[in-house]
Amino acid sequence: MKSSHPAPVAIIGAGIAGLTAAVTLRRQNIPIVLYESGQRIAGLAQSFNDEDGFSYDFGPHFITNRLAAALGVGAQCRTVRHYGEAVWLQGRTYGYPFGLLQVPRFCLSGLASKLTPGNQQRANSSAAEWFRASYGKALANEVAIPLLEAWSGADASQLSAAVGSKLQNSIGYTFLLKAASHLTHRAVASGYSHEMPEHPNVWHVYPEGGTSTLCQRLADGLEGAIALESPVESILVEQEQVTAIRVKGTEQPVSAVISTAPCSVLARLINGSDALRPLTKFRYRPMVFVNLRLNGRGYLPNTVLWTPEAEFPFFRLTETPLSMPWLAPAGKTIITVDIGCEVGDAIWSMPDDALGVFCRDALRPIIPTVQQQYLGCRVMRSSIAYPIFLNEYEADRVALEKSTGIAGLYSIGRNGEFSHMLMEDVYWRTQNKMRDVQADLKSQIGGQSGIA
Amino acid sequence: MNRASAKPDSLSQRGAVARPGGDRPLSLMSVHCCICNGDDAEPIAVGEDFEYRTSPDTFLAMRCRQCGLVYLNPRPAVEELSRIYPPDYHAYDFSQEQFGFVYKVRCRLEAGRLLSCCKGLPDSARILDVGCGDGFHLGLLRQFGQSSWQLEGIDPSDLAVIAANRAGLTIHQGTIQSLDLPKASYDLAFMIATLEHVDNPVQVLEAVRSLLRPGGCVVIVTDNTDTLDFRLFQQRHWGGYHFPRHWNLFNPSTLRQLAQKVDLEVAQLTTILSPVNWVYSLHNALVDWGAPLWLIRQFTLKSTLALGIFTLFDLLHQKLGHGALLRVTLRRPF
Repeated sequence: MKSSHPAPVAIIGAGIAGLTAAVTLRRQNIPIVLYESGQRIAGLAQSFNDEDGFSYDFGPHFITNRLAAALGVGAQCRTVRHYGEAVWLQGRTYGYPFGLLQVPRFCLSGLASKLTPGNQQRANSSAAEWFRASYGKALANEVAIPLLEAWSGADASQLSAAVGSKLQNSIGYTFLLKAASHLTHRAVASGYSHEMPEHPNVWHVYPEGGTSTLCQRLADGLEGAIALESPVESILVEQEQVTAIRVKGTEQPVSAVISTAPCSVLARLINGSDALRPLTKFRYRPMVFVNLRLNGRGYLPNTVLWTPEAEFPFFRLTETPLSMPWLAPAGKTIITVDIGCEVGDAIWSMPDDALGVFCRDALRPIIPTVQQQYLGCRVMRSSIAYPIFLNEYEADRVALEKSTGIAGLYSIGRNGEFSHMLMEDVYWRTQNKMRDVQADLKSQIGGQSGIA
Repeated sequence: MNRASAKPDSLSQRGAVARPGGDRPLSLMSVHCCICNGDDAEPIAVGEDFEYRTSPDTFLAMRCRQCGLVYLNPRPAVEELSRIYPPDYHAYDFSQEQFGFVYKVRCRLEAGRLLSCCKGLPDSARILDVGCGDGFHLGLLRQFGQSSWQLEGIDPSDLAVIAANRAGLTIHQGTIQSLDLPKASYDLAFMIATLEHVDNPVQVLEAVRSLLRPGGCVVIVTDNTDTLDFRLFQQRHWGGYHFPRHWNLFNPSTLRQLAQKVDLEVAQLTTILSPVNWVYSLHNALVDWGAPLWLIRQFTLKSTLALGIFTLFDLLHQKLGHGALLRVTLRRPF
């Protein structure tokens, strides 16, 4: 006899996306089980504190006050008073974006690109062309494309134009948001949220305890529904419909599966369908984040410094205490050095201490006194830091935005959607997707009762 | 429960009273849209308790994509009511001593409005004020209405009941859902600046409906989100949010949908003028931006000049059908 209770929805991964999915569905009284392979929740949002008073965030540093309010953790958040970016070029720094616009060759080539007929058609062919058409050749060739290539590890002509089209507000609106930030002494979000509108009353905040605080708040409503140390071994599909999962060798019927796993991992979990085979080609960029501890503070001209020139082994430096002073003890700072790499290559395999010294030495042109101020480092590695939008699988990526192609299977979150979205977008997008899941489940139940 | 400022001499650097426990987060709960029961809403505002600083929390106002209702989500749990309505909350003591000239003007204005709702009532009419606060409106009805009318109020707050009893009014303490009042007995009910405060407007209106005689009416006055001040300040500072005490905020459309849901007929729906949301929108913005206290104090319910200016301003909007408050008369069908 069949149980009158519907099989639960299985959610794979207890990061912000998985937890949001679980909370949203549970609010609709849909039974769920959240499977997490690790010993604790929070996925990429985990934070660490060391005995010297330094804090390290693996993944995003801050969120918006809007997301904090939505989760009910606003009282546990500190306002970020300042955030800014700059670019290092030929020994000088330029504010981003307005400092760069004051460089005549960037400005003129940018204007020329706007006036050149046919640019928009070319812009769709690759990321390289998109940047040339949108920013002008000079800015694209000297700044945007080198950064993109260092970040992705791929030739910009091989990357999809979709990389660029997801980036920014208009110059005018960016100016407005920056002005609001100066006037209110709050780091107004600009170019951060794409799902919900940005405006002067949405700014960055830092949750006490790091972004894992958000995950913990979400998990508070999920008592009894989270299975830790329970990796999903396979997803069973019959006639292109998810039927069950296998966990710890046991098959468990499910009404749907919502995965936050990287697409390539998800594709390998599928048993009984080839629909996700194209996803095995999807690549993520491995990244090494070297957190250098230094005496003193204020070494970078702004919180983030982009370094597009090939002389540097890194492409981005972040001095987080310039935005969030509490992340380092007084009189000290952390500079995070982002280096793109491949799993197993020389950078990836380098011992932590050697990486610290390597970065320290490479930083000398930017921070001449770095050797004397260096206190040590802490290294974090991620084999799946960013999705790489290669043109070779762009059609499959666009198809995935609509559906996995298997009924009852959903791929969500930054890794699952293979998307460049940040924390707040993950939250709102996941909520929206769960409405689709709910509608699908309803029609599924309706269809079954119709048959009965 | 209308709004007034806290005592000026107790204003802190942040424009509101520094109170014990004000640094402790509230217990918050997630809710659905009370009209369509949906969970599909967009965030429109992030705010704080700019007026009373009862907690360090930030709050999110959302707009339902199905019906357009604006509601607070998440919102304080019901057991936090005593914190978000502190003892100095104005609705418990809107007195002539505290509010002087504004009190006198408001009395005349409100009395006229109340009596216009009472036309045609029998001498023996039984009138109920749901969410009566300190009994301000009941007092006006007693003063300016017929002495034969039977006047009663409902309010869950100890402080409100003490204040109303002190004024010699008949008050039932509790919520309308929990009190065992006689069914189909009242000719008229008022919900003046109450609907936006209650946790479940549908249940409350169903309870009100059950107490009305067939043909009896309930007059609701509530903040209007179909206004210029809402559009200008909706991202954070709009006075009508009254973070975190206004849990559901309506426009003419959502109010009609609510009436339909509880099977009450819309006898009349209009807007009336009020300067309060204009004044408090500016007040909240000034508090939020760290303006000096002398400037903040120009935008409270004791600021005759600001109230005067925005009364005229809102009069123009009201003539165009977009006054700051909605007033709807709902009738229980025969």
